[in-house]
Amino acid sequence: MTAKLIVQGLSHHYPDEYTGVSVHALEDINLEVNDGEFVAVVGPSGCGKTTLLNILAGLLPYRHGTATVDSKIIDGPGPDRGVVFQEHAILPWRTVAGNIGHGLELQKVSRQERRDRVAEFIEMVGLVGFEDSYPHELSGGMKQRCAVARTLCADPEIMSMDEPFAAVDAQTRITLQEELIRIAIATKKTILFITHAVDEAAFLGDRCFVFSRRPGRLRETVQINIPREERNWQDIAANPEFVRARDRILSLVREEVVADE
Amino acid sequence: MSDSLNRFLAFWRHFSGAKVINLALIIAGLLGAWALISGSIDNPGRYLPSPLAVAASSVDMLYKGLLPSYFGDTISRLVIGSLIGLGLGIPFGLLLGLNRTVSDIFFPIMNFFQSVSGIAIFPIVVIWWGNSDKTVLAVILYTCFFPVAFNVLSGVREVPLRYIHSAYTLGASKFQVIRDVLAPGALPHIATGSRLGIGFASRAVIADEMLAGREGLGWMIFTGQDADMTSQVILGMLMIGLTWIVLDHYLLRPLEADTIERWGLVHR
Repeated sequence: MTAKLIVQGLSHHYPDEYTGVSVHALEDINLEVNDGEFVAVVGPSGCGKTTLLNILAGLLPYRHGTATVDSKIIDGPGPDRGVVFQEHAILPWRTVAGNIGHGLELQKVSRQERRDRVAEFIEMVGLVGFEDSYPHELSGGMKQRCAVARTLCADPEIMSMDEPFAAVDAQTRITLQEELIRIAIATKKTILFITHAVDEAAFLGDRCFVFSRRPGRLRETVQINIPREERNWQDIAANPEFVRARDRILSLVREEVVADE
Repeated sequence: MSDSLNRFLAFWRHFSGAKVINLALIIAGLLGAWALISGSIDNPGRYLPSPLAVAASSVDMLYKGLLPSYFGDTISRLVIGSLIGLGLGIPFGLLLGLNRTVSDIFFPIMNFFQSVSGIAIFPIVVIWWGNSDKTVLAVILYTCFFPVAFNVLSGVREVPLRYIHSAYTLGASKFQVIRDVLAPGALPHIATGSRLGIGFASRAVIADEMLAGREGLGWMIFTGQDADMTSQVILGMLMIGLTWIVLDHYLLRPLEADTIERWGLVHR
């Protein structure tokens, strides 16, 4: 397997917005994400997870260390690195189809091809019949499906997701997690999934990066050897590999939280 | 008492159905009250002519062709001044809003000019260009531009950052971000700014015509007072108010309904 994303010696400080005090968000991060891999990133709140995502998305300039996607140094945002934001960032003034096709529109893809691709993703995320609806007419889960399709339809090399299911109800979250596995199988995309929910990380990730509390360091990488086809909530709860991985991640995260108090 | 009144009103609404009838009733009531007051005072021709007298004077002015001519003068000034004001103010506000540092510098400047009314700058424009159509137009343009630009600028600043980031991570250029995110995102404020801008301009045009002595509805009101023709004064006032209502109802409201209300950005 080849590494899609390589981060070497990445450290980041930024001045706090209100106090101006320098915040040490990330310290010497070294990690690799392989092509087609689904990696979860877990850590206590304030561990620099979102800072890492913003740097990888090119939204936050960094000075110390390097980050590359397909050997290209990350320098500013680009369509090769799609992001699903914490609060869904679908545009209220565009319909579902308009949101999903936005990336292709920006890349000046022809109308015909755009229509086909949009239809394909609307089908994939289960929004058939809602093509012409506006976001305010959708439920929370549907908005998040739309946001995922909006990001994927632009065909990024890697998709980063920042706690995308944190704001939906528990039932919907379970469905969305299973759907995301199905989408990962169908699209073979490289996915970096940031979360603070241990169950979610163990359920979704092929591997899980556990971060320490601030300044965020990569504390341990937990391998989760479960084929994607077997990842549904009915079966996985009794899977010893899932239980082992979840308990390991949980104990690592708890050590960090306890050390904080 | 009020209970039975409510029941009567409910019955009436059920019976009459349409909003139009309610509106007609209100207007009839206002006209009736106006006629009643007019009929109960001394010398109504000077202080408050009856609705009929005003109607007669409007027929007379229509017949002489004065009303269409004055109305046309005022409307064309208002339309030209507002269009230029909106055409400059909206892009200006969007561009300023694009850069945080630039917008922080301009924000207080825009705020300053927004508060200095068109009438306050009228004298200096007269010093430059005299009592001319150019002066009137310049003041209308000024009056319209600043509330528009100021509101658009604050609108752009309020567009959630995640929408802008989302567009950039899809590969959008700066221009595409303005077109697809900032302009539609600021539309509620663009609508407010336009309403304020045109509203202020429609006040300014009347005052400017009076001050500069250019023909139009403002001039009609002004000369009506001079010539003791109170019905002409009232007619001018009515025309201004009615024009605004028609403009708002048939132009601004449908635009808002099709955009910001359809998108769920504002609720009615």
